[in-house]
Amino acid sequence: MSTQEQITHFRTIFSALRDEVGKIIVGHESIVDNTLVAILAGGHVLLEGVPGLGKTLLVRTLGEVLDLSFSRIQFTPDLMPADILGTNLVMETPDGRRLFEFQKGPIFAHLILADEINRATPKTQSAMLEAMQEHSVTAGGALRRLTEPFFVLATQNPIDQEGTYPLPEAQLDRFFFKLLVGYPTAAELTEVINRTTETAKTELRRVVSREQLLEMQLLVREVPVASHVKDYAVRLVQATHPKTETGTAMVSQFLRFGSSPRGAQALILAGKVRALAQGRFNVSFDDLEAIALPALRHRLILNFEAEAEGVTTDHIIAQVLKDVPRDAVAVGA
Amino acid sequence: MSALQLIEATVIRTGRRRRWHRAWRGAWQGFLIAAVLWLVALGLYKLLPIPWQVLPLAGVTGLLTVLAGFLAGWWRRERAIDTARWLDHRQHLQERLGTALEIGREPGSGEWGALVLNDAARMVGEVDVRRLLPLTLPRASRWSLPILALAAGLGFAPEYRSQEFLQRQREKESIRETGRNLSELTKRSLERRQPTLEATRQAVKSVGELGEQLARNPVSRTEALRDLAKMTDRVEQEHRELGKNPALRAIERAARSADKNSPASSDALQKQIESMQKALGSKEAAADALEKLRRELDKARQAAANMLGKDSQANAAAQESLANALSSLARQSTDLGSALPSLEEALAALKAGDIDQVLKNLEVAEKNLERLLEMAQALDKLQQQAGKLGKDLAEQLEKGQAEAAIASLQKMVNQLKAGDLSPERMKALMDEVAKAIDPAGPYGKVPDHLKEALRQMQAGQNAPAAQALADAAKELESLLDQLADAQDLKATLDALKRAQICVGTCQSWGACQGLSKPGFKPGGKPGRGVGTWADEDGWLDTPPTTGLWDNSGIERPDMESRGITDRGEGEIPEGMMPTKVKGQFQPGSQMPSITLKGVSIKGQSRVAIQEALQAAQSEAESALSHDKVPRAYAGSVKDYFDDLK
Repeated sequence: MSTQEQITHFRTIFSALRDEVGKIIVGHESIVDNTLVAILAGGHVLLEGVPGLGKTLLVRTLGEVLDLSFSRIQFTPDLMPADILGTNLVMETPDGRRLFEFQKGPIFAHLILADEINRATPKTQSAMLEAMQEHSVTAGGALRRLTEPFFVLATQNPIDQEGTYPLPEAQLDRFFFKLLVGYPTAAELTEVINRTTETAKTELRRVVSREQLLEMQLLVREVPVASHVKDYAVRLVQATHPKTETGTAMVSQFLRFGSSPRGAQALILAGKVRALAQGRFNVSFDDLEAIALPALRHRLILNFEAEAEGVTTDHIIAQVLKDVPRDAVAVGA
Repeated sequence: MSALQLIEATVIRTGRRRRWHRAWRGAWQGFLIAAVLWLVALGLYKLLPIPWQVLPLAGVTGLLTVLAGFLAGWWRRERAIDTARWLDHRQHLQERLGTALEIGREPGSGEWGALVLNDAARMVGEVDVRRLLPLTLPRASRWSLPILALAAGLGFAPEYRSQEFLQRQREKESIRETGRNLSELTKRSLERRQPTLEATRQAVKSVGELGEQLARNPVSRTEALRDLAKMTDRVEQEHRELGKNPALRAIERAARSADKNSPASSDALQKQIESMQKALGSKEAAADALEKLRRELDKARQAAANMLGKDSQANAAAQESLANALSSLARQSTDLGSALPSLEEALAALKAGDIDQVLKNLEVAEKNLERLLEMAQALDKLQQQAGKLGKDLAEQLEKGQAEAAIASLQKMVNQLKAGDLSPERMKALMDEVAKAIDPAGPYGKVPDHLKEALRQMQAGQNAPAAQALADAAKELESLLDQLADAQDLKATLDALKRAQICVGTCQSWGACQGLSKPGFKPGGKPGRGVGTWADEDGWLDTPPTTGLWDNSGIERPDMESRGITDRGEGEIPEGMMPTKVKGQFQPGSQMPSITLKGVSIKGQSRVAIQEALQAAQSEAESALSHDKVPRAYAGSVKDYFDDLK
């Protein structure tokens, strides 16, 4: 298949995925799009929102339309790391010998739904770190690879709710996107009621296989990016570094820590997916700006002053986008 | 054409267009700056006393700004990749062109490179560079024109200048012009004649340098007056030194009283008299007799004119009377030695009855008579001059006629050198020299040379005697040179005083010309009063004028009051006896004040009090030293200014 055909196929599948998910999820187009972008870029997604907004439903739907193995982990305060990763159990063989056998946990799947991830203790949350970054699990002294593709789609309630533990910065940084799920509009809510209170049942079809998904992920990485576009991504990330020459005034005032290099990686990769999805062969400034919020918002650590004044990372990123010029050559002319 | 070539061609075309567009906008921005600059400069010039050169400077700077704006836009050439990125930005091409140029040029870009290039080429086909970058009037032009219009309107507004500034300008201009004239006058004086004495030469030269300095760098009025006063003091001192020589005084008096056109020596004068007598005829016709003759001739001409248009009977008696008168006039003119042939011709015409011809002949005769009268008057004048001129060396020296004395001495030298003098003539020479020794007393070494000449002549040594006389002549010539130096100094001094007046009154050099002599109105004509001082100041000895300013103590019989009328002793009705009141000064009483017209300086003072006091004291000293203050008040003035602290 030629590159042109691969790209066409990519767009077709992307569109089909959106359509299939749209059969279940009402509204939240940008959430769906960004989730698909993260999956095609090979990243994990953290969905945040108050209970009942369809976060879990979205991930479950994705599990249905993607021809991948799916696990759901309900994070609770008493959940232990072994409950996620798996554990060695003493097993008796038919010949009566006893030996330890590793019993795989729910992490061993392609698509993991980590529901209400912030309700588990930090110890349990940290059990996900290796799996999310290295796509491997170390248990009982043995390293076990997870099968590709591996995605963690986590949901969490706002951290100010009862019984929640904030995710560690290291784990937050491992999420490709953090998406904020908001309330539906009146029309959307009406549609939700229609779909969920009647007898009609929607049948979903599996749109993409594991192999196709892996090919699509490879195709994404081939999309060319011009040097000045990469430079813009770098400047955006550097602008979030407080108390540095590149950091903006607002960043220096309200941030404790800025984005890690994973932020720049996320910007470029997501930009590539977005460009392909829109039928272009190159990444544009618009692509970067469009995914700047989900890619960076969870990587910025606010200081006390920001929290006291109610400044969010979204405010800061919006200001950074205003302060950092896209292209000095073009704008200056 | 490949996709890459198509993209590059469009980008290059756009880059060229952008360059022109930048130059166009740059020129207009420069024009806006120029307009603002001009407006500001004009506004400042209208409000503040800045030099007018600011305006052309602002204009030139404005033009340069326009040029600089154009060149700044034109000069900058940008890379194709930059132009491509600019096109992406302006046409919202989603970085297609920038990526295509960057990726498409890389070798081995492969399928992705081709995809990117084709995509960009598809988009670039829609780019219309002319529409994208139209050469229309930019925003700067919209501001430039109103600003220029404002500047043009401002041009009609009059400049605001404070009175102080205008006064300062006038002073500066006056000082500059005065300096220029002073320098020019001294320069011309030095070109005309180089002073003999080094001190005089230096003094005149210094005045010229001062003039140049004032013309080149006009200082404040006070400083200029101070410098002029110092220079005046110096020149006056030099002039006084020269004036101490008594010989020069005598020569100067003689030179002033002499007519400018009169010959220098008695010989020349005598020759002139003789030539004039010869022209007048054998008998010297007296000017009075000729005048009488002219009046009678005039009457005869009127009588002849009256005869025109009358009948013959009425004319017969008149003709006879006129014939008698004409005969008498012809006889008188012949007696005076100035025969008038036109009178004879008139008589003949009268007899022929041709009155017109009579009138013509009489007019000719009248003209001839007038010419004779003028010659007679000139002869009288020359004879008067000859009377004044010294007859011999002694008289010439006594009367200060140095040039005549030099000529006499030269004549003696020639006679002595010739060596063919008779004893009588030699004795006459010795007598003349001996007689001249005493009058030659004030003339420096002249008496010594004359004595030496006399001694040598008595000893029969003609050559040494001639040498001594030549030395005496040289000494006199030297004195004449010194007198010329004194004249130069006097002229320089006059120029300096005139300069002081010009600077003091802040007037032009021409306007303050008439103020140089007291008693003269600005027009130059003497005013009313007891005489004038027109020619009383000599080159050497300037008589003090302060005494002349106060005429109240002078008794003049011709100015005695005669009652209510000055037409003689009129008849005065009884009971109307006039009361004669005569004013006089009361010794010991309060001193009357006299208003003196002088330099009036108006304006506001902005100097330190000590500086003002010093300037006032300096000016007062200068005024006192120049005798500008009446002697009666000099002490009071000096005390007053000395007490200022």
